[in-house]
Amino acid sequence: MHQIFFWGFALLAVFSALMVITRRNVVHSALFLISTFFWVAAIYILLEAELLAAIQILVYAGAIMVLIVFTILLIHVEETKIINPWQRQRPIAILLGVFLLGEIFLILSRALFPESIAGTALQQVAQEGNTEAVGKLLYTKYLFPFEVASILLLAAMIGAIVMAKREIEK
Amino acid sequence: MLDYIWLVPTFPLIGVTINGLLGKRLPKKLVGLVACGALGLSFLVSVIIFFTLLHLPPEQRYLEKVLYTWISSGAFRAEAGFQLDPLSAVMILVVSGVGFFIHIYSIGYMHGDKGYARYFAYLNLFAFFMLLLVLANNFLFLFVGWEGVGLCSYLLIGFWYERKSAADAGKKAFVVNRIGDFGFALGIMLIFSTFGTIDYSEVFQAAPEKFSPGALIITAITLLLFVGATGKSAQLPLYTWLPDAMEGPTPVSALIHAATMVTAGVYMVARCHVLYLLAPISLTVVATVGALTAIFSASIGLAQNDIKRILAYSTISQLGYMFLGCGVGAFSAGIFHLMTHAFFKALLFLGAGSVIHALAGEQDLRKMGGLRRNLPITFPTFLVATLAIAGLPGFSGFFSKDEILWEAFSSPHGHFIYWLIGIVTAGMTSFYMFRLVFLAFFGSSRIETDRTHHIHESPPSMTMPLIILALLSIIGGYAGVPHVLGGANRFHSFLSPVFSGHHGGGDVVDPSASTEIVIMTMSVLVAVGGFLLAHRMYIKRPEVPAILADKARWLYQLIFNKYYVDEIYDFLFVNSIKNGANRLWQLFDVRVVDGSVNGIANLAGQGSSLLSQLQSGYVKSYAASILIGAALIIGYYVLR
Amino acid sequence: MINLSLLTPEIIVLITALIVLILDLLPWRGRKVLLATVGVLGTVGALLITMGQWDLREEAFYGMVAIDNFSVYFKALFLIICTLTILLSINYITRGGIDLGEYYSLVLLATFGYMFMASGTDLITIFLALEILSLAVYILAGFMRHSPKSNESAFKYFLLGAFSSAFLLYGIANIYGVVGNTNLKDIAQYLSQEAALKNPLFLAGMGLLLVGFGFKVAIVPFHMWTPDVYEGSPTTVTAFMAVGTKAASFAAFLRVFFYTLEPLKGQWVPVLWLLAAVTIIFGNTVAIYQKNIKRMLAYSAIAHAGYILVAMVAGNDLGSSSILYYLLVYSLMNLGAFGVVIIVEKKEEENLTISDYRGLAYKHPMLSAAMSLFLLSLAGIPPTGGFVGKFYIFSAAVSGGYVGLAIIGVLGSAIALYYYLRIIVYMYMYDPEKEFLDGPVPFFSAAALVITAIGTILLGITPARILELAHYSISYLGH
Repeated sequence: MHQIFFWGFALLAVFSALMVITRRNVVHSALFLISTFFWVAAIYILLEAELLAAIQILVYAGAIMVLIVFTILLIHVEETKIINPWQRQRPIAILLGVFLLGEIFLILSRALFPESIAGTALQQVAQEGNTEAVGKLLYTKYLFPFEVASILLLAAMIGAIVMAKREIEK
Repeated sequence: MLDYIWLVPTFPLIGVTINGLLGKRLPKKLVGLVACGALGLSFLVSVIIFFTLLHLPPEQRYLEKVLYTWISSGAFRAEAGFQLDPLSAVMILVVSGVGFFIHIYSIGYMHGDKGYARYFAYLNLFAFFMLLLVLANNFLFLFVGWEGVGLCSYLLIGFWYERKSAADAGKKAFVVNRIGDFGFALGIMLIFSTFGTIDYSEVFQAAPEKFSPGALIITAITLLLFVGATGKSAQLPLYTWLPDAMEGPTPVSALIHAATMVTAGVYMVARCHVLYLLAPISLTVVATVGALTAIFSASIGLAQNDIKRILAYSTISQLGYMFLGCGVGAFSAGIFHLMTHAFFKALLFLGAGSVIHALAGEQDLRKMGGLRRNLPITFPTFLVATLAIAGLPGFSGFFSKDEILWEAFSSPHGHFIYWLIGIVTAGMTSFYMFRLVFLAFFGSSRIETDRTHHIHESPPSMTMPLIILALLSIIGGYAGVPHVLGGANRFHSFLSPVFSGHHGGGDVVDPSASTEIVIMTMSVLVAVGGFLLAHRMYIKRPEVPAILADKARWLYQLIFNKYYVDEIYDFLFVNSIKNGANRLWQLFDVRVVDGSVNGIANLAGQGSSLLSQLQSGYVKSYAASILIGAALIIGYYVLR
Repeated sequence: MINLSLLTPEIIVLITALIVLILDLLPWRGRKVLLATVGVLGTVGALLITMGQWDLREEAFYGMVAIDNFSVYFKALFLIICTLTILLSINYITRGGIDLGEYYSLVLLATFGYMFMASGTDLITIFLALEILSLAVYILAGFMRHSPKSNESAFKYFLLGAFSSAFLLYGIANIYGVVGNTNLKDIAQYLSQEAALKNPLFLAGMGLLLVGFGFKVAIVPFHMWTPDVYEGSPTTVTAFMAVGTKAASFAAFLRVFFYTLEPLKGQWVPVLWLLAAVTIIFGNTVAIYQKNIKRMLAYSAIAHAGYILVAMVAGNDLGSSSILYYLLVYSLMNLGAFGVVIIVEKKEEENLTISDYRGLAYKHPMLSAAMSLFLLSLAGIPPTGGFVGKFYIFSAAVSGGYVGLAIIGVLGSAIALYYYLRIIVYMYMYDPEKEFLDGPVPFFSAAALVITAIGTILLGITPARILELAHYSISYLGH
C-alpha cells in the first residue's frame, strides 16, 4: 500500500517537473511547479514528516509561488519572445543528462545505507511527535544555523533595498 | 674585517634606493657619483677582504656569515647568509672591480641620455644581484640573485625601448632565460628533496657520503642545474639571446658579457663541483656543450660585420672554453679564464663603445677603417685586448686559455677531441679578432662622409677605464703562470681550498712537462696563424674575402646567417607556442563555451565581454562546463 | 554549550554592519567617511579580539563552530582583507557614484560569512556561511548602477552561484544520507570504519562538495564565471571577492578535506592533481591573451588557485602550512595590485586596459613601483612573499613525491611572469600619453597600498615567523 502511494506520488512529481521545463507558456510552467511541490509534500507525509509537508506547502507553494506569479505578471510574458536559441546544445544536454542519470542509478544501487540512522530519528518522532522533535532540535543542536539563517535573510533584504533604491533613483 | 662581507652587496643596494627614488630630482653629476661611489666602495671592501683572506692560512680562508634565518618550517630551512671563500672572493673582486670601471665609463657614455638616473639605478641593481649570487651560502639565496640578474638584464637590454629591436631583444633574453631558470628551479627542488637541505656546506658534505659516483639522482640534479647555466651563460642551445642583447647600451653589454650575468653559470658549476664530480655523465655533457659552443659560435663570428655582434659571439665562444675547463674537472682553470676574460672582454666592449661613440652610432665594420690615428687611446688598448683574447704569449688570455687546453688534453676527464676543438677555436678567435682590428683601425677610411667630422677620442671618464682594463688584461694572467713556465700558479693555489681534494688543474708539475710545452707552442702557433691569415686577407690583399665569400657562397651564407638558428627556433618553438596558446584559448573559452554564439571572430579581438550581453544562454554554457566537470568527477568515483 | 562569548569577533562585525546601516540615515554630508571609519574601527576591534583567541581551542553552539588556531588564523586574515577593502573603497565608490551606506554594510556581512567559513565545523554551518557571503557579494557585484556590465556580472554570478550551491547542498545531502549527521566530527568518526571508505554514495557526495568548493575558489572547469564577473564588478568588489571569497572557500575546503575527509585522501588526491594541473596551465596561458587588466588578474587568480591545489595535493606538513602562508601572501599582493588598478581607474571604465598603463612610471613613480612589486610577487620573483610561497609549495610537492605536478607548477609560473612583466614594461618603457589621476593619490587608498606593500616585502624577507604560525595553525586542525 505504502509502496503504491509512493510510486504514484513520485511519478506525478517527476512528471510535473518535466512539464515545468518543457512548457512554452511560462504560466503553465509555474502551475506545474506548484503541482511538483504538492506531490513532494505528499511524499513527506508518507514519511510521517507532517511538519515538513506543511512547511513545504506554506513556503514553496504559498510564498515562493506567489512571488513567481507576480514576477511573471510584471514582466509581461506575452511580450517576451519565446525563443529557443539553444537547439545545438540539445544533443549535448541529453547526453549529459543520460550520463548523470546513469551515474545516480549506479550510486544508489551500490550505496550502503546504515539502518541505525533512520531508526533513531523515527524513535524520537514516535515518542514526542514530529513537530516537537523538530522544534527541540532547532532550539538546541541546530540553534546556530537557525539563528544565522536570519542574517542570511537580512543580507537578502539589504540587497533588495539596494536594488529597489536604484530603481527609484532612476 | 671578514665579518663586514655584507657591506659588499649593501652599497649597490643603497645606490639603487637613492637613484631609484630620488634620481629624477638629483643633478646628473650626483646621480653618477652615487652609483659609481656605491660600487667603488663595494670594490674597496672586496679588495680589503681579499687581502685579509690572503693573510690567513689557506685552511682558514672560509667564512659563513648568516644574517638571519630566512625561511624555516619543519624540516625546511634556508638562511639569508653569505659564504666567503677564495672562490667567492675572486668573484666579488671581478664583479665589483670590472663593474666599477664600467660604471665610470657609463658616466661619459650615457651623458646625454634622458634615462640617466634610471640607467644607473638598473646598473647598481644588476651589480647588487650579481654580488648576492656569488656570495650566497645556499641554493635558494643563489636563486634570488640568479632571478634578479635575469630581471635586470631584461630591463637593461630593453633600455632603449623606443627601438623595437631593443624591446624584442629584451623579450628574447627574458624568454630564453626563463627556460634555463625553469631547469634550475627544478634542480634546486630536487636537491632539497634529495638532501633535505639547500645549504651549500651541508649538501656538499652529504653528497659524497650518501652517493657514489654516477648516482642517477646526482646526474639528474647536475644536468638540471646545467640547463640553468646554459640559459644564463648562453650556451648551446640557449645562446640565442646574447647576440641580440647587443641592443642595450654598450656598457651594459660589457657588464653582461664580462663581469656579470653570463659568468653566473660558470660560477655555479664551479661552486657545485662536488656534485659534478660525482656525475661523470654530467661532466661529459658540460665539456661537450662547452666545446661545441666554443667552436660553433667562433665560426659564426668569422663572418659578422657588426662590431658588437662579433664580440657577442666571441663571448659565447669564450664561455664555451670556461665550461670546457669545468667539464674536464679543471674548475680553477675555468674560473681563471672567467677572470681574465672579464678584463679583456670588458675592455673590448668598452673600446667598441668608444669607437661607436666616436662614429656617432656606427656599428658596421664595413663603414669603418683607418681609425687608429683618430683614436690614440682606444686603439692601443683595444689591441691589447685583442692580443689577450687571441692568446698571444705574455697576455692574460694566453695563460688562462692555455691552462684549459692543457687540461682538456691531459685531465682524466679530458679527451684529445676536446683539445682539438679548443685549438681550432683558438685559431678562429685569433682570426676574427684581428679581422675586426684590421677592418676598424687599419686600411683606408670607409666612413660615411657625414660622420667624419664627428670623429674624436672619447672623454677621460671613458678612456681611463680603458687604460686600467688594458693593464689588467696584461698583468691579470701573471696570477696563474703555470709551473712549466717557472711560475707558481698562485691563482690556482689560492683557489685550492675550495677545490681541494679534487683534481683542480695545474696543481702538480706534470712529469710530461715536455708535452705541455708542445701543446702550449701549438696554441701559440695557431694564434699567430690566425693573425697572419687575417693580416693577409684584410691588409695585404683586401679583395680576397669577397672572392672567398663568392666561391663558397652557401657556406658563407650559412655562417653569415648564424646557421639560421634563430629562424629555426622561431619556426619550431616561438610560433607553435604562440599558436598553441591562442588555440587553447579559442578552443575552451571561445569554441566550447561560446561556440553556439556566432562570433568567434569578434571574440579574438575583444574578449568574450562584447558578446556576453546578458543573453540567458551564455550563462547556460558556463553552467554546462560546471555540469560536465561534476559529471566527470562523480563518474570517476562511480565508474572506476 | 552555547558559549556565545566565543563569537564576540563575529558579533562585533555583525553589529558594525547594522550600525553602518543606521548611521547612513544621518542627514550629514560627510557621513560617508564616518561610515567607513566605523567599519574600519569595527573590523580592527574584531581583529584584536580574534588575536586574543589564539590557542583557545573551544567549541560553541553544540559543536557547530570551533574556535581553534586554524579559524583564528583565517579570521584574522579576513578581517585584514575587510579593512583594506574598506580603505580602498572610500574614494572609489564616491567617484563611481555608488556611495550608499549599504555598500560597507554588505562588505561587513560578507566578512561575517567568511569568518564562519573558517570556523564552521558542521556542513550546515559552512553552507549557511557560504550563502551569506555569496548573497552579499552578488549584490556588491551589481552595485555599479547604470552599468550594464556590472548588472550582468551580478546576474551571472548569482545564477551560477546558485547552481553551484545546489551541487554543494546535494553533496551534503548525500553525506547526510550515509552518515545521518552533518557534523564534521561525526563524519570523521564514520569514516574510521573500513567499509565506509568505499561507499559510492559517500564518494559521490564528496565529489559534489568538490564541485561546490571548486566553483567558489575558481578552478578549471568551474572557473568560467570568473573573468566576466571580475571584469564587470566594481573593482573594489572584484578585489574583495578575488581575495576574500577565495580564501574563505579555501578555509572551508581545507577543513572539510584535510580534517574530515582525510581518510579518503587516496580518493580525492588524484582528482585534485588533475584539476591543479589543468587550472595552472589554463589560467596562465589564457591570461597572456587578455587586454583588460581586470580580466588578466582574473585568470591570474584562477592560476593561483591551481598553485594552492598543488599544496593540497602534496598534503604533507610543508604543503599544508604553505597553503595558509600562500593565502596570506596572495591576499596582500592581489589586494595591492587591485588597489593600483582602483586608483588608476576612471569613470566609464577608463584606464582599464593594459596599454593604458603606458608611462605610468613617469607620472607616478611610487604607484608604479608599488605595482611592480605586487606583480613581481604574483609572478614569484624573489625577494617578495610570492616567491617564498611558491617555492614552499613546489618543494612541498617535490618532497611529497609529486614531481610532475611541481614541474607543471614551475612551468606555469614561468609563463605567468610574461604577462605580469608586460604591465611593468608598459609602465616603465613607454612614454606617457595622458594624465592618469584627476588629483593626488587618495589618502586612504595610499594607506592601503603601503600596508600591502610592506606586507608583501616583509613576507618575502622574513617569512619564518608567519610560516611557523601557519604551521601551528593547520597542525592543530580538528584537535
